[in-house]
Amino acid sequence: MDFLLASLVDGLLIGSVYGLAAMGLTLIWGVMRVTNLAHGAFIALGMFGVYGLFNGGFNPYVGLFLVAGCGLLVGIGIYYVALHRVINAPQLSTLLATFAVNMIILGVGTTLFSTSPRTIDFSLGSFSLGPITVQNTRLLAALASGAITGVLYLFLYRTRPGKYIRAVSSNRAAAELMGISSTHILALSFGLGALLAATAGGLIATFFPFTILSGDTYQLKSFVIGVMGGLGNPFGALIGGLILGLLEGLIPVVMPTTWVPVIEFLLFVIILLVRPNGILGAKR
Amino acid sequence: MPILEVNDITSGYGDVQILWGAALKLEPGLMTCLVGANGVGKTTLLRTVMGQLRPWSGNVRFEGHDISRLPAYKRAERGLVLVPEGRQLFGDMSVLENLEMGATNRRGRPHLKRNLERVFAMFPRLQDRLTQKANTMSGGEQQMLAVGRGIMAEPTLLLIDELSLGLAPVLVLQLFKNLQQLKALGITIMLVEQNVQMSLAVSDYGYVLAQGRTELEGAAATLMRDDHVRAAYLGL
Repeated sequence: MDFLLASLVDGLLIGSVYGLAAMGLTLIWGVMRVTNLAHGAFIALGMFGVYGLFNGGFNPYVGLFLVAGCGLLVGIGIYYVALHRVINAPQLSTLLATFAVNMIILGVGTTLFSTSPRTIDFSLGSFSLGPITVQNTRLLAALASGAITGVLYLFLYRTRPGKYIRAVSSNRAAAELMGISSTHILALSFGLGALLAATAGGLIATFFPFTILSGDTYQLKSFVIGVMGGLGNPFGALIGGLILGLLEGLIPVVMPTTWVPVIEFLLFVIILLVRPNGILGAKR
Repeated sequence: MPILEVNDITSGYGDVQILWGAALKLEPGLMTCLVGANGVGKTTLLRTVMGQLRPWSGNVRFEGHDISRLPAYKRAERGLVLVPEGRQLFGDMSVLENLEMGATNRRGRPHLKRNLERVFAMFPRLQDRLTQKANTMSGGEQQMLAVGRGIMAEPTLLLIDELSLGLAPVLVLQLFKNLQQLKALGITIMLVEQNVQMSLAVSDYGYVLAQGRTELEGAAATLMRDDHVRAAYLGL
């Protein structure tokens, strides 16, 4: 019973970070109708960003701010270089463009960093609450994910550029007619998606070992979460992340860990069949 | 000087040519209507004027400047504003947010408050529904919001595509009255309509578009008496 409770708490903490990663994917899909196959690469870059800064003497949480900023700029740059000219082409074109970006980042990354696992040698200790022991890095990651979700919400609903993003997402042609440059807004959205991915990667790196290829796992999780929460719905993504985290915490209690992805993707298929718009049912 | 000149525009989609030499001259301060049957190119003409489509040949001049190459989003800033067919609201945003989005360009922003009051005076029903999502409102209310959003942009020329489509006649009459108020404020208006009789009745000047060409033009009252117009469009 105690073991169950511990797995549950741990699952929720990690799940919120998965939610953060998925939010980036789902934001890009919702606004741009682009399936970003470079999402995992952005996550891995976030991991290596925090890792590099840590080895350069930065506290990982300070490094995270720098990584977030770079994620935004890199995302905007990639939009203009790789996506802008195919943004109105059929979806296969943008899919392939992001796939190409993914291959470039992973190729360069493998050359530079090899694929041997890294860890950030950093610990904040842990605390015990009755039978449960919580690692502080995981708690902090969950709190950060919650805070970033809140900030994203405020940004989208209370600020001018945030409202532009929602307007472009809702009706790109009408937004143009009102005088909103959809190109700038699409670039900003892609940048924000990259920022969220890199930040999630950076947080994961504070408690899990990783390689340049680790992002793929989290990209797949992001797809499952996005579909659960309804693609295009950032807040559904957090809920979806928590659900996935819970599953990952609880499944190993009753069956071998290797079954986790089997159950996850089975769930993915079932949701696609039963509720193709997500459990939370964003209507599109 | 005409506020909008459309000079022998040809345009279309892909290989399909829709416009075969459309020409217009809108005088400032007037309400002009562009009428014609379904499928003759009215919306294509508007899309070309707004920069959503590039003209194949010919040009569009607004307030004396050639704007044929200006991107769509920069036209609202100049005071050239379209209320598009089918309303094209931001469906999952609130009524207030839709109105705010109308005032995003540099031109409308400083007048946000005044224009908001104008819109509420004209459509009190919108004021009661500020926080409601646009796509949950009735068709009439959505049309009011679409016109309201256009007003928020501080237009000098307001183009309105199919204002009357799908609305009850009593509501259409009310909306046409609202347009007269806008005209009194000095806003030039062009109505683009299938509803020939109603739009000629409220307009000062009219153009008839047929097979992608402007076929006829004249004072609205004259067009109403024109035998061809009466036979072809008014069923008289």
